[in-house]
Amino acid sequence: MNRYDFILISVILFVCLLFLGITYINGEKDANVAYVYYDNKLVKTIDLRIDETKEYIVKGYNGDVVIETKKNQIRVKEEKSPLNLCSKQGFISSSLETIVCLPNKVVIKIESSNDELDAVVR
Amino acid sequence: MKKLILLIMCIFLLSGCNNQVYTKNLFYMDTFINVKIYSSDKKKALDALSYIDQMYNDYDMLADRYKSHDGVINIKYINEMDINQEIKIDNRLYEMIEYSKSFHAKTNGLFNIALGNVIDVWSEYRNGNKTGVPTTEELLKSGSTSIDDLSLLGNDTIMKKGDISLDLGAIAKGYVTELAGEYLEGIGLNKYLITAGTSSVKVGEHYRNDKYKIGLTDPLDTSNLYKTVKGNNISVTTSGSYDRYYEYDGVKYHHIINPNTFFPSNNSLAVTVITDDAALGEVLSTTLFLMSVDEGKKYISDMEGVEAIWYEMDGGITLTDGMSNYE
Repeated sequence: MNRYDFILISVILFVCLLFLGITYINGEKDANVAYVYYDNKLVKTIDLRIDETKEYIVKGYNGDVVIETKKNQIRVKEEKSPLNLCSKQGFISSSLETIVCLPNKVVIKIESSNDELDAVVR
Repeated sequence: MKKLILLIMCIFLLSGCNNQVYTKNLFYMDTFINVKIYSSDKKKALDALSYIDQMYNDYDMLADRYKSHDGVINIKYINEMDINQEIKIDNRLYEMIEYSKSFHAKTNGLFNIALGNVIDVWSEYRNGNKTGVPTTEELLKSGSTSIDDLSLLGNDTIMKKGDISLDLGAIAKGYVTELAGEYLEGIGLNKYLITAGTSSVKVGEHYRNDKYKIGLTDPLDTSNLYKTVKGNNISVTTSGSYDRYYEYDGVKYHHIINPNTFFPSNNSLAVTVITDDAALGEVLSTTLFLMSVDEGKKYISDMEGVEAIWYEMDGGITLTDGMSNYE
């Protein structure tokens, strides 16, 4: 092993650790964030760590969708749809629960760093 | 020494620098589909996500029984066309119909894609257009539900012999999910997770040399999970009566109709099937839901690689012996 091997290995190790670090930091930053999608496009990112009740309005297929958040919780408060399944669902707080408003093409997902499960089936 | 260092480098490369997750949310087949691919090859993963998007899109149009799409001969078209008329259809739709139809005989008629006429009657009541509960007479006179009224003539050609209405709602989602998973495996993207609606998940290899953990919702307390299934290269599919239903006179009427009675069946609150094939999982979860627990256990006892969990009406839980592999 000569000097260049050593430099090469050092560089590769450094890059690896850097990537690990980036992944780790990303994971931390995304903890307890809600993502709101409309028609498969991300339209809002909401920090759920804030300890106060807040309202947001996003565009839905049938009109405005009113979203309410509390600390680590999010729900659809009002929406125009035939069965209002979305608002009936109430608050969700885990990344394994998803609010899907099909008539409005709106999806709300939570990302948090401490979930053990990969998916939930019902 | 050099080899050792090379090996260490490789391990670092494999563990540290790769496997980002690439994900896409899709709206098809009246549901929400999430595809996750874990890969170090960004372009390949993104291309695969677009390809799968197109796949669901195509099959959604083909299996659609409510909307027409320009230049597409789909289920709506077939349901509305005249009887005794031969028509050549898209090979993909033909194969899906052929696959679905083949389970009619294998399940003693319990899996039937020709229930559209009866399903439409129930939909009227569930949507509130009509109040109450349909009578047996109303259901009987809604039209043919005989799958034999559909002839598959080969060469992608079909012919109707009666006024049946096809409904692929019980199969389409799982069928396309299976094709999507097979596509990913075929191009070497083995680490993936596809959530198709709330009732079906298909996973490949794990992204971290672990097993995927899939929680099952408790039908009697839907904010809780009653079990976790752990495994790789499996699909987990649930048929349940507690999500889509309407209530009349204190009785709940859900959406899974027994082809023998034309009424919703109430053997279990939910049945979950674990198998490596998401299409088969969809067929079997529906079929087992329409059987008693004992009948169901017997029915799948000689099927290799098929396990099931019954959540019974009284809250009791029955597992097949092989479920211990997924604990």
